[in-house]
Formats: sequence, structure tokens, C-alpha cells
Amino acid sequence: MSYLEYSVKRVPTGPRKILHLNWALVLLLIAVASTGFLMLYSVAGGDISRWAEPQMKRFAVGLVLMFAVAFVPIWFWRNMAALAYGISLLLLVAVEFVGDIGMGAQRWIDLGVIRLQPSELMKITLVMLLAAYYDWLDIRKTSHPLYVLLPALLILLPTALVLKQPDLGTSILLLMGGAAVMFAAGVHWAYFATVFAAGVGLVSAVMASRGKPWQLLEDYQYRRIDTFLDPGSDPLGAGYHITQAQIALGSGGWAGRGFMQGTQSRPIFLPEKHTDFIFTTLAEEFGFVGAFSLLVLYVLIIGFCVASAVSNKDRFASLLTLGIAVAFFLYFAINMAMVMGLAPVVGVPLPLVSYGGSAMLVLMVAFGLVQSAHIHRPR
Amino acid sequence: MIRTPLRPLARILAARAKGENPDAIERENIRLRHEELRDRARARAEGRLFVLALFFLCAFGTVGIRMGVLAATDPAEPRSAGSGAQILANRADITDRNGQLLATNLVTWSLYAQPRQMIDPEGSARALASIFPDLDRDRLIRQFTGGRTFVWIKRRISPEQRQAVHDIGDPGLLFGPREMRLYPNGALAAHVLGGAAFGREGVHSAEVIGTAGVEKTFDERLRDPANQGRPLVLSLDLSVQAAVEQVLEAGMALMNAKGAAAVVMDARTGEVVAMASLPDFDPNDRPAPPTSGDASDNPLFNRAVQGVYELGSTYKIFTVAQALDLGLVTPETRIDTRSPMTHGRHRIRDFRNYGPELSVTDVIVKSSNVGTARIALMIGAERQKAFLARLGLLAPTAIEMAEAPGVQPLFPQKNWPEISVMTISYGHGTSASPLHLAAAYATLVNGGYKVTPTILHRDIPLRGERVISEQTSAIVRSMLRETVARGTATLADVPGYSVGGKTGTADKPLRDGRGYHSDKVITTFAGMFPSDNPAYVIVVSLDEPVETSGPEPRRTAGWTAVPVAAEIIRRIAPILGVRPAIATAGEDGVTLARN
Repeated sequence: MSYLEYSVKRVPTGPRKILHLNWALVLLLIAVASTGFLMLYSVAGGDISRWAEPQMKRFAVGLVLMFAVAFVPIWFWRNMAALAYGISLLLLVAVEFVGDIGMGAQRWIDLGVIRLQPSELMKITLVMLLAAYYDWLDIRKTSHPLYVLLPALLILLPTALVLKQPDLGTSILLLMGGAAVMFAAGVHWAYFATVFAAGVGLVSAVMASRGKPWQLLEDYQYRRIDTFLDPGSDPLGAGYHITQAQIALGSGGWAGRGFMQGTQSRPIFLPEKHTDFIFTTLAEEFGFVGAFSLLVLYVLIIGFCVASAVSNKDRFASLLTLGIAVAFFLYFAINMAMVMGLAPVVGVPLPLVSYGGSAMLVLMVAFGLVQSAHIHRPR
Repeated sequence: MIRTPLRPLARILAARAKGENPDAIERENIRLRHEELRDRARARAEGRLFVLALFFLCAFGTVGIRMGVLAATDPAEPRSAGSGAQILANRADITDRNGQLLATNLVTWSLYAQPRQMIDPEGSARALASIFPDLDRDRLIRQFTGGRTFVWIKRRISPEQRQAVHDIGDPGLLFGPREMRLYPNGALAAHVLGGAAFGREGVHSAEVIGTAGVEKTFDERLRDPANQGRPLVLSLDLSVQAAVEQVLEAGMALMNAKGAAAVVMDARTGEVVAMASLPDFDPNDRPAPPTSGDASDNPLFNRAVQGVYELGSTYKIFTVAQALDLGLVTPETRIDTRSPMTHGRHRIRDFRNYGPELSVTDVIVKSSNVGTARIALMIGAERQKAFLARLGLLAPTAIEMAEAPGVQPLFPQKNWPEISVMTISYGHGTSASPLHLAAAYATLVNGGYKVTPTILHRDIPLRGERVISEQTSAIVRSMLRETVARGTATLADVPGYSVGGKTGTADKPLRDGRGYHSDKVITTFAGMFPSDNPAYVIVVSLDEPVETSGPEPRRTAGWTAVPVAAEIIRRIAPILGVRPAIATAGEDGVTLARN
């Protein structure tokens, strides 16, 4: 069912929209962000002005943005999807030429007012466009090869651009987020199985060729893969973050060392402690209980999104909500897995907690879309 | 799949019979089909959602369980089996030819502060100022209380200082490991080794980069992890180097010289066995380069490699060797040595008048400028220049030291007039470094093969191109031997080692380049031993020596550089394994039983 088919008259209008907001979701977001403020305060050694304060300001801006986006009808956003994707893609191309280099990768574009990371924007606009695409597409053509190829290209184009920056983490998020929307839209599972098998085949061929005369990569490239897969083999080099993070988690134990009492995650040991590895501070200071609580908060956010998606009869709204939930899930799942040594270090922040502007604002806009879909759902 | 028709004939006929509109049936069927399709899509979407939710749950479960496992483990430092040490000691050692350590690494500590974590910034600043007198207390207090989060205090501190800082007990004072270059022999071979300094610095480590000498030349090689810490083996012999430096230092003091340089070189391979330059410095605490004054008087200046001097009469042997090799003269040819010799406006004199004529051998033995100049006129400018070039005296040496490539010998660049031919023949009007001289002498005496100086230990001796014939080389050796036996360098006659060599005394040029000092000289002795089959070449050079034991000050090489060189040879020859030819009573005194 598309919004063209239901009566717009039954959707709340004006200030009454506030009553129909998903307030539980808003409260959860505030709770997660507040955890972030506490951690940033602690990591800075009890200094609020260093990271916590700017983060608070950004979150406030984010909340306002979220409400603004939420009160605009969801069909407006559906019509904007293609435009938003186009702009994001243009910015991604632009960043290649005029982008600033930060932390060894070309990711930032300076708009005067804010420094924008187009790859962050792309995560949401890609999901929007895919949801709009499947809303537009005749449901019987969903698994038609031609109509599978088009969204695949829409996903691969920005992924390749982001990979070139180079930003492995974000490109993985884009790829998996887009694939999740296609999966939820009902594309035949054989496509996914084929791609998965091809991927596994390629990787095993590359690894199997090692040491053989027909070796596909150079020796040093294999050594890099080794360190990437098993950072523990180089505890003072590539694996430094991971080992330190794991020591911090272990040092936290079950109940933690107490707020501001962490030692391992201090600047001396963990260089990226306020961004990608902030979870270690939480785990050390509040232990398993604190870390698991944060996990539960995330699960609840995902849960509310999925529930909203299931109950929404509008195909675009449903797919969009689901896609955003998947993107959010990938964010923190990859980050936590990375910090705990379950996945290689790829550089994905902990959503709403890690210090950083673009990611936070984009996420808040995304939740604004989720709220808009919730308010303007067909009744 | 069997599709139900939209207009089933039976129902339409029935409807027509009843007078109803059959189109309603079609519309109804279209609506039903639409709903069926939608329900199927919905069911599939729910199935997909279920799969996704399952995936979410699995991921949550994994992360949660992992969290629990990590929380349950004891926090333990990861033990990196030996690899940690490897990463720390990542600059290769430097050793001499026998594997004696010349440069290695030592882990020290750097000191920094995080003022925000300090308990008592002012007290700590005061305590630090008393431990490190070179730190300014007020500046430290300002840094600690000015709201900064990080302050470097010291790059390197000793263990005692570290303990003292520990005893302050302030948690805001922190240490970072610093790998430091250590030269265990102090100033020994300082100029060869050069020195190293920190490059990019972080809290945990710092790059160590070579700043001079072989440390700079081989910086890449020393830092390359692919060499797995294999040491760089130099051609130096630590014992010989120590003896040379010791004697040279004493000799410099005895001769009241302000500087000195010595090179000992393997005559066949060009390996530099010892190289010294005084005054020297301690590479562990390399002084800053001078900003004013004469750089060539600074301890950092390597006289043996960088010092381009007029080497005086030591050059005469080159002229004579070339004339012999070209067949222009024989050792017995009589040369006109009437002094002064006039050439245009110029006059060439000898130190003393040696009479109307001398044999070529005596021109060298007595060191006659006039005689050498006459021989040089037979050779001519073109051939003289070519010969000096083949001996390597007109280009920077190829020795593997950072300083060497910039050391260009001086000679008349464009035209090489006849007067230059004559002055260059006895070592004036052209300059080169002691290392150049050593390599050229090695080439002349080793049988005539070109020698390229090197600081690296060579496993296989290289045989260069032939410069002079074997016979000429033999004559040159006997002339040098005679110079020591009965000529200007008699003080160099070390019993048993059959030393041969040639002296050179050159007036120092005035700073402004116009003319020469009348009382400042550079004296040089270039020699080889043993003279019948030379194994080593030695060059000793003294800067502004004055020998004052006699009634009047003596400045010539024979009284200054030569005795120093002799003492060096006396000390190093046994270390180098040169067998002394002990002069026995001689065969005449032996009565053989058979007779």
C-alpha cells in the first residue's frame, strides 16, 4: 500500500503531530547520547569543555533537526529521495577533488558552516532511494534481473567512491545496509546466495594461491591481510588498539572500576579513545553491567524501529525504517565487534556515543525520518 | 500456477441471466487478485523480516557473550614473545671488522607531564628544577598551571634522574621509553660514526636518524627491518683506531698543533683501518654545528675526509712516478737542480741548495722543488692532469661517508698554465684531503692498481684498473724507502718494519686567499710499510705544528708529522700482524756447518 492509496485526512496535522511522535524512541536516543557525554567527560580526565560540551551542543542541534524532519510528511521525503541521493553522490565525487584530508583519508568537505562528511550522508540517502525505488517498482518485478541490477549499481557506485577515500568501515556499512533493504524488499534469495558464494570463492582462491606459483597477490599484501585478520600477531603495531581495548575490557570486570576510575583507556594507552574506542572506557569504568546496558539500549532502539516498520502499511515508510534500523545496527555491531576483537579494525564509530559531528547529525536526521514515517503512517 | 479467469463464463452467464452487470464480477476478481498478491508480498516481507531479526539476535548474542567472556578474564598484559624487543631495538648495530661494537641501542626514558593530572604542579616544578638544573623553574610552573594538557620536559633522562622524578611522586609526571643510540667507545672513531638524533617523536617511541658519518650514509640500511638487525661491519679495526687516536693526540700536544688527522689504509683493498681527526667529540653527546667562526676548526669537522689542504712535497712522488712510467726518466737520470729556477716572473727555490744536479732518486730523497718542476715540464699539463685524475686526486672520494661527496679537491679549473704544472708537481696550487692522499699512495705502492677508499669491510679484495706498471711501482717503493733511510723522513725509520714515505710541508694560505702565512704550516707524512711488499699506507697530517725542543722552533714535516707517524707505526704494526724483519747479524756472521 502506498500513501496514494490511503486517506491523508486521517493523518495528524499541525501541533497534534507531537502527540503521535514515538516518544519512547526519543527517550532512548537521549539516554544513549547521555552515556556518551559521561564517557567523553571521563576520557578527557574530568574536562567538560574538551569533548563533552561540543558533543552536547551537536546533540541539541541534532534533536531539533530530528523534530524538524519528523514533522515534514513522509511522502515529501519519498519524493526527495532521488534528489538527496544525487546530491550525496555529487558531494562524494567533489570530496575527491576538494576534500580535506583527515587521519590519512580524504573524507571531509568544508561547507563554510560545517565540515561535512558526504559518506555519512550517503548512508541515509542510499537507504531512502532504495526504499523509494522498491515502493515505485511493481512488486512482481522485484526479482527480475534487470530490476535487481539497477539497485545493485546504486549501491556499488557510492561504495566504490568511499572505498577509494579510503574508508573501509563506511563502505562496508553502505554495502550491507543497501543489501539489507534489497533483502527486506523481497529480492529473491538466490541473488544473495550467488554474491555470497562468489565472495567466499574469491577470498578462498586468493588465500589458496598463497605460496603457489600462481599467487594472486604480493607477499607483503598477504602479510597485511594476516595482521588485519589477526591483530594479536603484532601487539605493538597494528594490533595495539585491540590488545589495549581488550585489556581495558578485562580490567573492568563485572561491575567496573567506577566512574572516572579507568586507567587502561587513558590517553596514554589508547590513542583513539574518544572516537572509535570509547566503548572500552565504558566497559572499564562500568564493567560488564554498564556495557551490557548500553547494548540493551541499542537493542531497544532497533526493536522500536523494527516494530514501527512492521506495523507500517506504507511500503516506502516500512522499508526506510527498516533500512535505517539496519544501518544503525551495523554501526554499533561492527564497532563493538571490532573493539572486542571479533572483527578486524575498520574504523566505525559507536553511534551517538563516539565523538564526532557528521555521524551524529546524520543519525539524528535518520531518526527524524523514522519518526516522520511513524507519525504519517496510514491508519 | 493456475490462474483463475477474471471473467469466468459460468458466472457471467448466470449474472446476465439475472440481469446484473457482468463487469462488476471482473472488478471484484481484479480486487481479489490484487489483495492476494499483496498478501503474498506481505508474507514474504514478514519472512524476510524474521530472517533479519534472527540475524540481529545472533549478532547481539555474540557481542553479549563476548562481553561476558572478556569481563570474566583477568586483565593480563599480552606477552609478545620477543617481538617487542625487536621492535624497540630497530636500528642495526655498527661493528668494526672484528665484530667489536661501535654503535648500538639503549633504552632510556623521556619525561613528560600531564598537568591536569598533577597533584601539586608548583611543588613538582620546583622539585624538577632541582633535579635538572638546566630547567627554568618559573617557566615550568607557568607550563604546568597554564591549562595545558601535555608538556615535554626532557627527551632523555638517566636512570638516577628517573628515580629522582619517581620520588617526587606526582602522577602527572610520566615516562615514555626512548631508544637511544649509544656509542660505547665514546669519542673513538667519532668522525667515522658521525652521530644520530631523534626524528619524529611520540610519547612511546621516537625515530632515530643518522645525522653524520656512516650513520647518515647508511641510515636506510640501518633502519631497514629487512636486515633483521644484522650489524653494519666497518673496515675499521678498533684496536688500531684506539692506538692511532692515542698517539695522534699526544703527538698533537707535543708538536703544539691545533689540529691533526691520520688515515691508515689497506694498500690493496682501500679499506680504511683507522681514521682519526682531532680535535674530536663524543657522538653520544654530539655538539651543535657551529654557527659562527671557521667551521674547519670545529670538532665536528673531519679533517681526514673534509679537510682540503695543500699537501706539499708529498705530491712529488706522483710527478716522478709518472715520468718513470712514461719512460721520460730513469732513477739515475741527472736532473738540473740549480736554484732558484726562473720561469717568467716566477722563481722556484729549494729549501736548501742541492748543487747543480741530482739523480731522480735524490730529487725525491732530498725533496727538490726545482728538480721536480723540471721533470713536470717534461710531462706537460695534459698528461699531468690526466694522471692526477686517474689517481683520484681531482674528484671527491667515493668513501661511504655522508661528508665525502661534497669534498672537491682544488686545482686550476680552466687552463693549467706551465707555472701550475711546476707548482702542482711539488704539491702547491692544488689541494686534497688526507684520505685522497692515502688512496693515491696506496695506488702507487701496491703494484700500480687503482685503489678506491672504503669504510666497509670487504670480503673480497677488489683489483682496480692499472695506473702504473709493476716495475714503476717497485721503483717508487724503493725511492720512498730511501727517503726514510737517508732523506727527509729519517725519523720515520721504525726498526724492523722497513717504512717508506715522503714528507710534505705547506704554508697555510691566508684567510683572504692572497698569499701564505710565513709561520703557519700544514705538515704531512705519507708512507707505507713494509716497503718491500706494502700492506698498509699511512697518512699523518698536523695543522700548525711547532716543534720547540731545539734551539729554534722547527716546523717542517720531518720534525713534526714524521715522528708522530713513526710512533703510530711502531704501535699499530704488531696489531695489524705485520711481521718485523729483525735485522740479524747477517749471513756473513753465520758459519754454516757444511762449509
